[in-house]
Amino acid sequence: MSMSRMDDFVFLSAARQGALIRQRKLSPVDLVRACIARIERYDPVLRAYITLCAESAMAEARRAEQDVMAGNYRGPLHGIPFGVKDQLCTRGIRTTLGSKIKADYVPDTDATVITRLKTAGAILIGKENLHEFGKGGTNVFPFGQPRNPWNPDRTPSSSSSGSGIAPAAGFSSGSLGEDTGGSIRGPAAANGIVGLRPTFGRVSRCGGVMYAWTGDTIGPLTRTVEDNALFLKVIAGHDAEDPLSSKRPVPDYPAALGTDLKGLRLAVVKEMAWPQGVHPEVRQAFEQALDVLRNLGAELGEVSLPWAKHAIPLSMLTSDADVASMYLPLLRTRWHDFDVGTRTRMAAAALVPAAVYSRAMRARAVVRRQILDALNRYDALLSPTNLKPPALIDDAREKVESKADIEQRLILRRISTHPFGVANTPTLALPMGFTGDDLPLSLQIAGRPFAEETIYRIGHAFEKATPWHARHPDLECTLTGFLGRPATVAA
Amino acid sequence: MELTAAQVREAARVLDLDIPEADIENVRLRLTTMLASMAEIERTLGSKMDETEPVPPVYPREEF
Repeated sequence: MSMSRMDDFVFLSAARQGALIRQRKLSPVDLVRACIARIERYDPVLRAYITLCAESAMAEARRAEQDVMAGNYRGPLHGIPFGVKDQLCTRGIRTTLGSKIKADYVPDTDATVITRLKTAGAILIGKENLHEFGKGGTNVFPFGQPRNPWNPDRTPSSSSSGSGIAPAAGFSSGSLGEDTGGSIRGPAAANGIVGLRPTFGRVSRCGGVMYAWTGDTIGPLTRTVEDNALFLKVIAGHDAEDPLSSKRPVPDYPAALGTDLKGLRLAVVKEMAWPQGVHPEVRQAFEQALDVLRNLGAELGEVSLPWAKHAIPLSMLTSDADVASMYLPLLRTRWHDFDVGTRTRMAAAALVPAAVYSRAMRARAVVRRQILDALNRYDALLSPTNLKPPALIDDAREKVESKADIEQRLILRRISTHPFGVANTPTLALPMGFTGDDLPLSLQIAGRPFAEETIYRIGHAFEKATPWHARHPDLECTLTGFLGRPATVAA
Repeated sequence: MELTAAQVREAARVLDLDIPEADIENVRLRLTTMLASMAEIERTLGSKMDETEPVPPVYPREEF
């Protein structure tokens, strides 16, 4: 089968692929085979995957095909290929956390979210590349430099890098990533797809390596909002193995999607939308997005969250310290086996005095309260997901050689995403346009705790009114000059 | 407060962590920035922090 013929169905939404599978017009075997063929051709450049599960995925696809033909259709994700950030444990499949320290770690259980997707009939196609231990700031990737499918010189963002690349490149129909301060939303934005950070407690963390225990969440990255809702519906819900998972019932997220926004009050967050340094094309696309939302019937206002900027250092002082406490034994014995970005970030966090940590946790509660107060007045808060288009890979590296580096590389680029991580509110990133040179731009929608239905409704209506989600990178063009080059591990 | 490399080295030794010289400046810059940020946060939010308990938001059960 030719690549162009494959493209006919690999870039369909998962919802559409599922409908065709149910109608027996699309074979899961053909779909999975097409994804694997694309991975084999393009992933030596893009490096979305650390471990490809081709053999088991094909076996599962044949089983799904037999089940569907026998009338045992399990639901809209039956036969749909997905990947997971290699931070989620998979039984019998290595789980590296993007680190050579864990290169040979093979868990004996699946993460709960993976079990749930498999039970729904979805097919695990591979383990996706990430920044080391799920922390942003990796400089040298032991399993290959992840690259942006829209322009391989550009970053696919961090830390769920492969989980953003894969659906965008037609390697899978969806991914699961992990988000503490923006690790799902950043890659969704950079790769031109949809990513959800769910409310903390909405999705079980069991089987994920989730050491930032007050902020880590698992969520889906997909090509459409509807697909995202389909994935969340399957993975959400209480899990006795995660004592912090919520017992609230799981709404029927796909059923709640609509196409108008009448009655909804939305607010632009002044400090996240219009700060100094926002790229002019981001500003223009965001202004146009606001017009679209207004035309869909939403009432638009503006809020000021002057304390939100504190979320970035507060996250580093608390969540990073929680993570560092777990890696201290390895930092003592295997310092040089960590990437320089990871080991210096972890070491600095390990040295945060306990009294400062405790005060920072108090400050987090204060910052969160300001965000929740705004969400009391508005149904959702809006901003660009990133203030700039995806940067050149070298410019995106978190080199720390001066205070200016820290300001630019560690803090400013996180100004829109971290506050909602600290607030633990559900937040959606979705395409809102492209730059003149075809780099994706992204809209961020944050909602009240457990109001995923509302932000999906807003995102879906916006998506239906705009063309951006229907654009996919033509990898034969964007990877010209890279295909056929010898693969390299580092950049 | 601008930390010195010696202070970082000593603090790390309390944790039995020996940071190689090549990485000390990187760690020093990061920690100094974090602590300076916290000092600014104390100036801005300190009184509110005194009235707030440091409960992590892992059971979101607000009024919503």
